Amino acid sequence: MALTGIQIFKLTPKKNCKECGCPTCMAFSMKVAQGAMTIDQCPHMSEDAVATLSEASAPPMKTIKAGVKAFADNKNDSEKEFALGGETVLFRHEKTFVNKTRYAASVCTCMDDAAVEARLASVAAIDYDRIGDRMYVEFVAVDCAEGAAPEAYAALVKKADGAGRALILNVKDEACAKAALDVCKDKKPILNAADASNYEAMSKLASDAGVVLGVTGASVEELYDTVAALEKAGNKNLILDLGTASIKDTFANAVLVRRAALKDTDRTFGYPSIVNVGKLASGDSHMQAALAALFTMKYGSIVVMEEMSYAQALPLYGLRQNLFTDPQKAPRIEPGIYPINGADENSVCLTTVDFALTYFLVSGELERSGVPCNLLISDAGGLSVLTSWAAGKFSSGSIAKYIQEFEIESKIKNRTLIIPGKVAVLKGDLEAKLPGWNIVVGPTEAVMLVKFLKDMQANA
Amino acid sequence: MPFTKKLQKFNATVRSVEVGTGDKAVTLGGGNTLPFYSFDAPTTNTAKIGIEISDMGLAHEPDCIKEVYAGCETVADMAKKAITMEGVDFLCLRLEGGDPNGENRPVEELVAVAKEVAEAVDFPLVVEGCKNVEKDAELLSKVAEALQGKNVLLMSAKEENYKNIGAAAGLAYNQLVGAESAVDINLAKQLNVLLKQLGVDSGKVVMNVGSSAAGYGFDYLISTLDRVKAAALGQNDDSLLMPIITPVASETWSVKESVATEEDAPGWGCVVERAIDMEVETAVACLACGSDAVILKHPTSVATVSKLISALS
Amino acid sequence: MTLFDVVFSGADTVYGLAEGAINAAIEKHGADKEVSFPGTAYCLPCYYAVTGTKVTNLGELKEALGVVKSIETKNVKLNDVFMNGVGTALCAEFIEALKYLDGADPYEGTGCSGHLSDAVIRELGVPLVTGDIPGVAVILGKAPTADDAAALVKSYQAQGILVTLVGDVIDQCVEKNVNMGANVRVIPLGKDVTSVIHVVSVAVRAALIFGNVEPGDSASLMKYTFERVPAFVNALGTLNPVVVACGAGAIALGFPVVTDDVATSEAVNIKVPKSLIVQPDISKFNATSLEARDIKIKITNIDIPVAFASAFEGEIVRKKQMQVEFDGSRVDCFELVQSKEMTEIEDHKIELIGPDFDTFEKGSKHSIAYIVEVAGKNMQSDFESVFERKFHSYLNCIEGVMHTGQRDMIRVRISDAAYDAGFRAKHIGEVLYAKVKNDYDAVVDRCQVKIITDPEMVTKLRHEIAIPAFDKRDDRLKSLTDESVEVYYSCIMCQAFSPSHVCVVTPERLGLCGAVSWLDAKATNELEPTGPCQVITKEKVIDERIGEYEDVNEAVKKFSNGALEDVSLYSIMEKPMTSCGCFECICGIEPFSNGVIIANREYAGMTPLGMTFPELASMTGGGVQTPGFMGHGKHFIASKKFMKAEGGIERIVWMPKDLKEQVAERLNATAKELYGIDNFTDMVGDETIAEDPETLLEFLTEKGHPALGLDPMM
Repeated sequence: MALTGIQIFKLTPKKNCKECGCPTCMAFSMKVAQGAMTIDQCPHMSEDAVATLSEASAPPMKTIKAGVKAFADNKNDSEKEFALGGETVLFRHEKTFVNKTRYAASVCTCMDDAAVEARLASVAAIDYDRIGDRMYVEFVAVDCAEGAAPEAYAALVKKADGAGRALILNVKDEACAKAALDVCKDKKPILNAADASNYEAMSKLASDAGVVLGVTGASVEELYDTVAALEKAGNKNLILDLGTASIKDTFANAVLVRRAALKDTDRTFGYPSIVNVGKLASGDSHMQAALAALFTMKYGSIVVMEEMSYAQALPLYGLRQNLFTDPQKAPRIEPGIYPINGADENSVCLTTVDFALTYFLVSGELERSGVPCNLLISDAGGLSVLTSWAAGKFSSGSIAKYIQEFEIESKIKNRTLIIPGKVAVLKGDLEAKLPGWNIVVGPTEAVMLVKFLKDMQANA
Repeated sequence: MPFTKKLQKFNATVRSVEVGTGDKAVTLGGGNTLPFYSFDAPTTNTAKIGIEISDMGLAHEPDCIKEVYAGCETVADMAKKAITMEGVDFLCLRLEGGDPNGENRPVEELVAVAKEVAEAVDFPLVVEGCKNVEKDAELLSKVAEALQGKNVLLMSAKEENYKNIGAAAGLAYNQLVGAESAVDINLAKQLNVLLKQLGVDSGKVVMNVGSSAAGYGFDYLISTLDRVKAAALGQNDDSLLMPIITPVASETWSVKESVATEEDAPGWGCVVERAIDMEVETAVACLACGSDAVILKHPTSVATVSKLISALS
Repeated sequence: MTLFDVVFSGADTVYGLAEGAINAAIEKHGADKEVSFPGTAYCLPCYYAVTGTKVTNLGELKEALGVVKSIETKNVKLNDVFMNGVGTALCAEFIEALKYLDGADPYEGTGCSGHLSDAVIRELGVPLVTGDIPGVAVILGKAPTADDAAALVKSYQAQGILVTLVGDVIDQCVEKNVNMGANVRVIPLGKDVTSVIHVVSVAVRAALIFGNVEPGDSASLMKYTFERVPAFVNALGTLNPVVVACGAGAIALGFPVVTDDVATSEAVNIKVPKSLIVQPDISKFNATSLEARDIKIKITNIDIPVAFASAFEGEIVRKKQMQVEFDGSRVDCFELVQSKEMTEIEDHKIELIGPDFDTFEKGSKHSIAYIVEVAGKNMQSDFESVFERKFHSYLNCIEGVMHTGQRDMIRVRISDAAYDAGFRAKHIGEVLYAKVKNDYDAVVDRCQVKIITDPEMVTKLRHEIAIPAFDKRDDRLKSLTDESVEVYYSCIMCQAFSPSHVCVVTPERLGLCGAVSWLDAKATNELEPTGPCQVITKEKVIDERIGEYEDVNEAVKKFSNGALEDVSLYSIMEKPMTSCGCFECICGIEPFSNGVIIANREYAGMTPLGMTFPELASMTGGGVQTPGFMGHGKHFIASKKFMKAEGGIERIVWMPKDLKEQVAERLNATAKELYGIDNFTDMVGDETIAEDPETLLEFLTEKGHPALGLDPMM
């Protein structure tokens, strides 16, 4: 099993040399235990210790990097490539899921030019921000139909590359694969090409080009054998294509592979996965939406669709955002002024915390009320109203400070501020700290806001 | 060494709860694997889908739903049409008109609607209240009385009103009790224990452990469902072995993604498609974590999710 | 005559009546004549419930009578009294059933209901189960005056109690125009004593319908009616043997009987404690009955002239709007909860000792004390401080009242607006009474409030009662040790965001959030038995040194849903307790100095471990055991149980300055007691001394910190 920080610390040189970037050996050990750093980042570790620790502290599932990111995921993201896999748990509540599912749309040599153009245009169209994360189709899968000429495939790959997204090369023919890599290997595509019959050749192509190799098998057992053979040959830069035999089999493969890796620490299956739901439900956009949700929940590292529409993307990216949050860290909203229903400087103000769920509930109800209002969100530590209040992060002081720092008084003329009913206790203090403001205690639950605001408007 | 599948066997089985009577009755629960893990053990009972109609008829429904029920003049007409949709296992009547902050329809009127629907269709029926705890306490008790003998599932008894609804549905009138808690395994457990202490047979309880739309705090729901299933099957925790029903439509049809018009959100495309995919994806995510039944609204969503359930079992 | 003689003779009388009536009916209609009550599937309900046999015709009724004869044994034993009571009830049912022969409607036109159908029971049963109908009063006989009767009925009605009437009391109510009928929850059953069976039939069928009691299982039946049917009998006027026999039947079902017939009661020299109660004053029947049946009425409306809502909690009463102020920092003031004996307390008595607000000049300052005295079967003095802490919130929720502080350091301001609205001293009592009764109804049976504004009296009571009470409480807290208590408590309040975390709360180790002490957990458990705090026994020791118990492990496994197998209470290296995310502090092992550092949530800087509080928190939280690191409350730092297994508090080598100052007094006291070290905190580093291990070690060496000489921690 995984080593504790203390066990790792015992093997460090205990010099606090800081060369690894951590201030102390203890801090370094704790990070290694968490999987945030690897043991070889310590320059002074003895070889024996590294060997002992690498084996024990190696994560059960590798983090595989592929593609070049078109955009940073969010303002904290500095990774240039997509990190796939690297999970340590089967359920998010056990710790947290670390590398989110990525989505792909497909083009194929069997499509005519106009269709390809249209598909690539649809890929570019999906690009929006949701609670600070940039949402877009990260990959384009380029299918090589049987019998397609290498030049034709390479041309399509080149065209697909023009869309500026990372590439997945779905190809079985060696010549086609080679031709495609020649035009795009510096973009770190995934060569999704290996199976039991061709893995040696494809592995060589992938290794020579320095790209990740996708492996598939007719059955989960065959997939396992092929991966084992590839690993034996020295290629551990892999991703597992879970196949398209049937929805049932693909789902079984997704679970069996991940479970073997994480629960039974069978490292042969310790790789990320690709699921092609476009092939599982060709032509049925709603079924593809259903499958994309299913494989986001259960263990698809990349989910490939035929096309990604906004209808499919909006819930899918929302789902992913929820699934891949740290269960102990609540998602947060940027502090600021959020005008609702066309509010202006004369509209009433409401304030609540920056906990994303609270924000969504409150803003949803405010929208429903139809009353123009300004929602003021201050930094409350990303906690719910009562929790942040209890922690002193949503206090009369914090609200007053926010009003000052965001220069609310010069931006908004209205001087009525509605505070959540659960923190009615702040009213008096706020009145003292915000002279000239009329502090109104609002309802205790968001669902009561519509009536509250309408009544308030009626009585005004 | 070749790969050998290690199967995950549980000693516990989620309780089976039958809704409705006669040939059309439908069974919720009864599973002994994690959702869709048919490779661990053969599927004993598949997840079920309900279709939702409202006492308000089509008054508050979007155009696409109005089209589905075109020609229906009464709620009973809608009920008759709803149960013919492909993939529907049960009917869910939502008495949302009872909300004191909304239409505030009187209890007698709503009970009459429920009776009309129950008489119009011979089909398993779930009746949902208006979500106001005081009103529901009275409303669902009266519905339980009015629909005696139909073996109806009443949703939902919450911590604040479980005594009323539990006593009426579970004790006095021999119906089924939906136990609703707010996305927390311990609250779910506590409510089940309280219902048991009240005297309600645990075999007549179906849980709603909370609901939300994908992207809207859905993380809490995922973990609650995951944990409830894990504790129920893994620990054989008797107070969590009830089947789980999740109302999906009532959450997904009000979020921005499903509501914003094409003018409001240029570039987002057809609003009907958006609403359907929001409903489908949320439902599938719930099922994948442990819901034994979901309640949907659009026939395309019902058909899609139903097809997926069949494909996976 | 003894109680036995009276009951037996009453039983014989009713038996004779039943026998005569049955024989006459058979003679007239033949044994095959159908017999039943209308609208019930359980005929005859009482007999069916007790014996499991359905009676459908006169012949069977005759057989049933034989069965009754066999249970009405006449030995001088209390059980025989009850069985004769039950027999009497069954005979009454037979007599009443005969009235319905041939589909007759015997109560038509009498203004009485007679038999109640199953549908009525299902309808009444729901509010009974939910407590919306908090009790069922059975009033039979004749009150001293018609006014007394009306007043008694109305007092129950006002509390939502279902009232059933039998005998002359019906006419008395009619005379006084008391509104009667099922819709107003006053049901006249019938004028004959035997009609009392119709309410017994309600209770019995409730057991069959709502309690799933098997017919014939009379033990379960009586258990159900005793535990779940909150009925009681008020027997008014002279008790004749028949009424006494019926009363014995009621007591057998668990329903206490309150009578005003002192003479007969005294003549009959056997007491049935808590079940047969003599109350000569009819105006006290209500209170006596409710208490005897343990019925608690929810107070929905607090009788004060201003609003009461949480929305006013943060309201500030400023000097210029102030009518009157009570300031414990200038004059004597205090607030106190005291538990008393039941007999010492008159429920809802609110007493003002001293002048009311009227006599105070606007803007003046005065003394005040309010003592809330409570009593209850399950009340424990440990709960006093738990209630008292809520006073702050209770008083602040009053519109125009501001409260700060606690114990004898309180300040209360009343606004002029509240005063003008009529707010006076007794209203403080009303609020405290209502809130304590409602919030703590599981333990508080009676409550009275004394408000004292007489300054000399306040001073006297402060020194004679309040301060000794506070001191006693503090002593109790100090004397509470992990060894001195029988059980610990779990707390899983924060599992919502830390799924597998379980706090084991002991007297010396409060919850790691710092907010849940052992006493809090105990009170929570008592008040909400299915809630987040559950009892954990600690009988099976595995390892005394690290504080590991088999039963604690079992509990932790259960409450973490299997995620955690075992924990120790006193070690941070071996199976340390898990942490959620809401700990006040984290301690972590500092290997170079052989000790631990502690960082509190407020501390934003670097620690000698090379990790900040948030970094430590991310490694320690989530309900996972992380040897060498542990979340805990501030209070725990000075505990003798703080990492006891590794040597205790002398392992502490570093704390942020603020934290050190907060805990210094108590920590130094513990260090002195355990190791004889004076001013221990002077040896402990802080951020002004070191933020890295090397500098810290130098400092510790210079100070001769004891941790340096201890065994290595790992």
